Amino acid sequence: MTPRPTTTKPLSTSNARRKLAAPTVAMLPRIADSLSFLYLDIVRIHQDDTGVCAEVTTEQRGTETVYLPTAALSCVLLGPGTSITARALTTFARNGTTILTTGSGGVRCYSAAVPESLTTTWLERQTRAWTNDTHRLAIAQAMYELRFGNGTATDGTTLDKLRGMEGQRVKAHYQLLARQYKIGRFRRAYDPASWDTQDPVNLALSSANTCLYGIVHAAITALGCSPALGFVHNGNQQAFVYDIADLYKAELTIPLAFSLHASPNPEGEARRSFRHELRLFQLLPRIVTDIQQLLDPSRTYEGPDPEEQMVDLWDPVTGSVPAGVNHGAQP
Amino acid sequence: MSSMIVISATAVPDHLRGALTRWLLEVTPELYVGTVSARVRDELWAAVTACTNDGLAVLAHPADNEQGFQLRTAGTRRREPLDFDGLTLIAFKRESQETAKPV
Repeated sequence: MTPRPTTTKPLSTSNARRKLAAPTVAMLPRIADSLSFLYLDIVRIHQDDTGVCAEVTTEQRGTETVYLPTAALSCVLLGPGTSITARALTTFARNGTTILTTGSGGVRCYSAAVPESLTTTWLERQTRAWTNDTHRLAIAQAMYELRFGNGTATDGTTLDKLRGMEGQRVKAHYQLLARQYKIGRFRRAYDPASWDTQDPVNLALSSANTCLYGIVHAAITALGCSPALGFVHNGNQQAFVYDIADLYKAELTIPLAFSLHASPNPEGEARRSFRHELRLFQLLPRIVTDIQQLLDPSRTYEGPDPEEQMVDLWDPVTGSVPAGVNHGAQP
Repeated sequence: MSSMIVISATAVPDHLRGALTRWLLEVTPELYVGTVSARVRDELWAAVTACTNDGLAVLAHPADNEQGFQLRTAGTRRREPLDFDGLTLIAFKRESQETAKPV
């Protein structure tokens, strides 16, 4: 006996086709459930009759086609040598996948494309907090507190002092790990101009950090927030990305980079183990919760109903009134 | 701990198909689904790879990675799992060199 599905209504074929072409919010994995990232370079990505595929050319095996699970991915990093059609980009956008253009090996992030069907709740919260200096300072302090532990950034501590504390901690952390892995003196250097001659730790760290930026960027845009409005960082299109990524570096990317000090391929290895750790730490859900908690400490937010209409009109008294209604009849 | 496995076998000898149905359900021709322990799964897969001959076989089973599953393939085949820094996708050769047909 085949049990009948009780919750979903049967779809007509044309409805089902439309739904698959432009999935509703309910059909897409939530940001926290989806696969974290996919890095591609030297490929041609295009949309064929049904799906998005990448043409991968290798010396050993020639040109092969790889279909990409667009709806299951939260973030795609496009490295150098990638070409992508507008049609494929549209499909990514419809499936809520963030596209990042990155440098070789995922170091540096040049641009991001965001899906348009997003709620603005979190963007509104972020901008409200950002424009109010008192509120902004409180969030910056909360960020330091997340990194250093509860009670370290009491109301009296100035941001100046917190910055100093942070610098010292990072330095001590580098020293400790350098001693632990017996690699003598370590100096953090980021020089894209002489990329290949850098030591493995710096390479791994840059590579892992950019992965982290990509994932944080994806989480931020997936919430609908602006990556440009940072609380500690300022004046950069990625300021908020740097703010949030900094929360996790000491725990994730720095120890990982030092552990790869003898690796022949530190960049790729960093990405691989970073992905593994990502699953262990469940990073995406954690980023989403951390951002929500920073922007909404009293936790008044409730998840949106996927069936709900997404557009409202603003009213200074009632907050929001439904759009798509003729308000001409009202006094 | 037993977990669900899926085996797809194409153009394999009849005796292998018959044997697989003793452990698994053949839900549609040459697609087998069942729940077995890791040990039984490994033994079965060793037998399948040895009998595949010119055909091809694929095994999918739950694994402790980001995707939640792992793939194994055997035999001469067109499709091959390809690792993208830890994410497994499927690569295959197109028979004729098709170009993109935008809808």
